Amino acid sequence: MIDRIKKLYTDNKTIFLIAGLAAMIALPFLIVKGSVMSIIVKILFYVILASSLNIINGYSGQFNIGHAGFVLIGAYTLAILANFGWPIWVLYIVAGIVTAIIGFLVALPTLRLRGIYLALVTLGFSEIMRLVALNWTALTGGPMGIKGIPSPWFFGLRSTAPHNYYYIVLFFVVICLFTSYRVINSKVGRAWMSIREDDHAAMSLGVDIRKYKSINFMFGAFWAGVGGALMAPFYKFIDSSMFTLDEGFNILSMVIIGGQGTLVGPVVGSVVVNLTTEIFRFADEARLLVYAVLIISMMWLRPQGLAGTSKSVIANRSIRKSKQVLLSKLSGKKEVK
Amino acid sequence: MYFLEQLINGICQGSIYALMAIGYAVIYGVVGLVTFTYGEIIMMGSFSAFYYFIAFGNNLWMALIAGFITAALVGVVVHKVCYQRFLDAPRYISLICTIGMSMFLKNLATILFGSEMKGMPTFFGGKFISIGTIRVGYLQLIIIAVVIILTVLLTIYLKKTRMGMRLRAVSQDKKAAALVGINVKTTTLIGNCIGCGLGGVAGILLGVYYNSVLPTMGGMAGLKAFSAMVLGGLGSIVGSAISGVIIGVVENLGIALTSSGLRDVFAFVLLVLILFIRPQGLFGKKGN
Repeated sequence: MIDRIKKLYTDNKTIFLIAGLAAMIALPFLIVKGSVMSIIVKILFYVILASSLNIINGYSGQFNIGHAGFVLIGAYTLAILANFGWPIWVLYIVAGIVTAIIGFLVALPTLRLRGIYLALVTLGFSEIMRLVALNWTALTGGPMGIKGIPSPWFFGLRSTAPHNYYYIVLFFVVICLFTSYRVINSKVGRAWMSIREDDHAAMSLGVDIRKYKSINFMFGAFWAGVGGALMAPFYKFIDSSMFTLDEGFNILSMVIIGGQGTLVGPVVGSVVVNLTTEIFRFADEARLLVYAVLIISMMWLRPQGLAGTSKSVIANRSIRKSKQVLLSKLSGKKEVK
Repeated sequence: MYFLEQLINGICQGSIYALMAIGYAVIYGVVGLVTFTYGEIIMMGSFSAFYYFIAFGNNLWMALIAGFITAALVGVVVHKVCYQRFLDAPRYISLICTIGMSMFLKNLATILFGSEMKGMPTFFGGKFISIGTIRVGYLQLIIIAVVIILTVLLTIYLKKTRMGMRLRAVSQDKKAAALVGINVKTTTLIGNCIGCGLGGVAGILLGVYYNSVLPTMGGMAGLKAFSAMVLGGLGSIVGSAISGVIIGVVENLGIALTSSGLRDVFAFVLLVLILFIRPQGLFGKKGN
């Protein structure tokens, strides 16, 4: 079924995109409740965060499991500098750039590392950032966090209400998805994918692995930083407990559930995960049990993610099928359907 | 003198980390997959001891055995859910599965046992030996002894028995092991259970050492185990043990120099630095 939906989409791409964007713009006029709107804003935050992680994990095949660390840097950069009176609109970008620089520093050791070692460095980085934010009381407020983060001015309005803030987030989501789309379909994006498929082969074809891997990390970190910076004025309060490793795992789960290495995957993942956890909010503590079961059953039934293609190598079923086809071809029998 | 005491605390804590890391190394070696459920297995072991003490009185040795068995049983479940299907699939699938499993167990424990901290009984009446001005607790000595004994037993088991030989064969090369007639499936399961059991014992020691158990205690413990295992070179038992002790000592000396809030920072900074200098870990072979 998912494949059929996808075909329908690719056939009428422009119509779908314009209709989707119009629907997104009209959305705040249809929904009156502020609480529902803030859930939608939250989904949009996670669209940015999951997309940025997808750039790193899905397109260049590096395994970053400490994405919360980047989000933390973005959020704290905005919160700290906003208290010095910097304009918020500039700070969204500044936070992104600061995070991208940190991302480059994290990428330095990762140029030598792969797989599990890389995963562990990003994990360690994320925890170090959280603990520094927790203990550096003078700068980050320590366990008290930072309160009273101002909201940006938006057409003469202070955009504190979810209905207004929604447009700011939507603006960044559109830019994030658009730039990701452009970059992925450029020379850089193809270089990332070649590294993901086989880095030795990529190297032999003249792809500068070190350069493209660091660009990849910086690009992902930039959007993670912007995402974090967007969150801070909306919640008006940040502290280090919002950026634990579990938060990083949460973003990772969205990417995987949606489908790694696809542009729509993180969007789908963010919507599905956030809606599930919100729908089961009445179940209180058991809500996370539902989420955990969702993750595990997803891996059992559709490991390539909701938006991933079933022709993907990751889909177990297609491996089995292609093996059967291969075997039947070898033995000269008819193809197994 | 203060530093010497901190050093002893570090060695004691490090030996608990070492035991966790050894368990993790056994799992990683045999199953060949990274797990994030290990912390929750440690927590389960710890809680089983907590309820053992309530039901049958304060017998540390029997509780250790109970913890081993409980953790091994949880290990079977984890194996069935997270590993068995995905042994040949891309690695991140089982990794995400273990993340889901960890979330599941943690929240299940919170619902079943309550989220508040629970006190463990004190053992050996808080007695200590004084050497000059330095105090060494009985409990600390017992913990170090338990860890050393278990490590020696495990080494003997792996080197001398037929089952241990099978475990080593599977961890070296699954296909070759299957070719010489080893039942890879069962062996992987058994290896995973042994690793989880060791984690459970380490969890009890951790709980007894800090006099407390919590449903969320597993997260950081599991990360320390993972770090120590990677630091020691993936799957190397001796390496894991030594790096576990190193992490414990560095943490405690770091606290002695600065403040106790920075405890975990030292472990992770050490980890990142060492991986930066030696990407294959302290005792790993190059080119892995």
